[in-house]
Amino acid sequence: MTSTPLVLKDVVKTWELHSVGPEATVHAAMQEMLQKNCFTLLVPRKNKHDAYGIVTKKDIVSKVIAEGKDPKKVKVKEVMSKPLVILTDLTLDLRWVAKAMANSGVSTVAVFDKGDFYGYVTEACILEGVYNSLRRAKLEQGTEFVSC
Amino acid sequence: MELRDIVSGSKPVKIQPSATASDALVSMMENKIDYLLIDRTGPNDAYGIITRWDLVAEAIAYGKELASTPVLDLARKPLVVMNNLDLDIRWVAKKMRNEGVSRIAVFDKDAFLGFVSDVDILRAVVSKTRTAKGAEQ
Repeated sequence: MTSTPLVLKDVVKTWELHSVGPEATVHAAMQEMLQKNCFTLLVPRKNKHDAYGIVTKKDIVSKVIAEGKDPKKVKVKEVMSKPLVILTDLTLDLRWVAKAMANSGVSTVAVFDKGDFYGYVTEACILEGVYNSLRRAKLEQGTEFVSC
Repeated sequence: MELRDIVSGSKPVKIQPSATASDALVSMMENKIDYLLIDRTGPNDAYGIITRWDLVAEAIAYGKELASTPVLDLARKPLVVMNNLDLDIRWVAKKMRNEGVSRIAVFDKDAFLGFVSDVDILRAVVSKTRTAKGAEQ
């Protein structure tokens, strides 16, 4: 990797996740995932004392289909993960972001900056960041070589 | 719904077993995929697989240098394999959960048919209910 370490701020994505209500059925969540081609859905909170939740393809495959349950009868709130795994330090080294993911066994981590919602970081974001830094390092080497 | 119906026949992108983790990363990003099949060295060797998650949780999380880490240190080898094509997809999903993987290799006797992923299972379940609805109407 490069000499300047990559930090969380370099890789975090600030898009909005698609959401699904906690009372919706798993079947509706699956249709939403396949239509939007986005396999992580946010479950919004009811009021400000409630926590946000998240439901992913892995939750549905391992907790509904593997158990032989009917996706039309199971509700999202029974399979979602709640509360979210969050990170608050935007200058955290990428290594520890990856470690936080590995420790908690999730692929999407929410990022908060001083109490405000900032964005999400997924395993794809981390790899993209590392790949871009590798390419940048190669480009820098290339220009040095040319100038010699 | 059986395993036979959901196997995607697409050829996976391969990588040599002698490659490093950074070769794997570059290949994944350039082909826009999240897993690579690791080729075997001889007829008595096993195939392996490396995914995005392996790179993040096994290499980057431990601060390893990607350029000097061999891909075999992070890979899963041998593959999780299923060969009963008549199996209900419920048991395919259960196998994924038990093994903690999201991709299973499917063989018919000796021939490699392809991989089954968790997205394939979701798609199959949704399309099954859709055709059932169409039949009612």
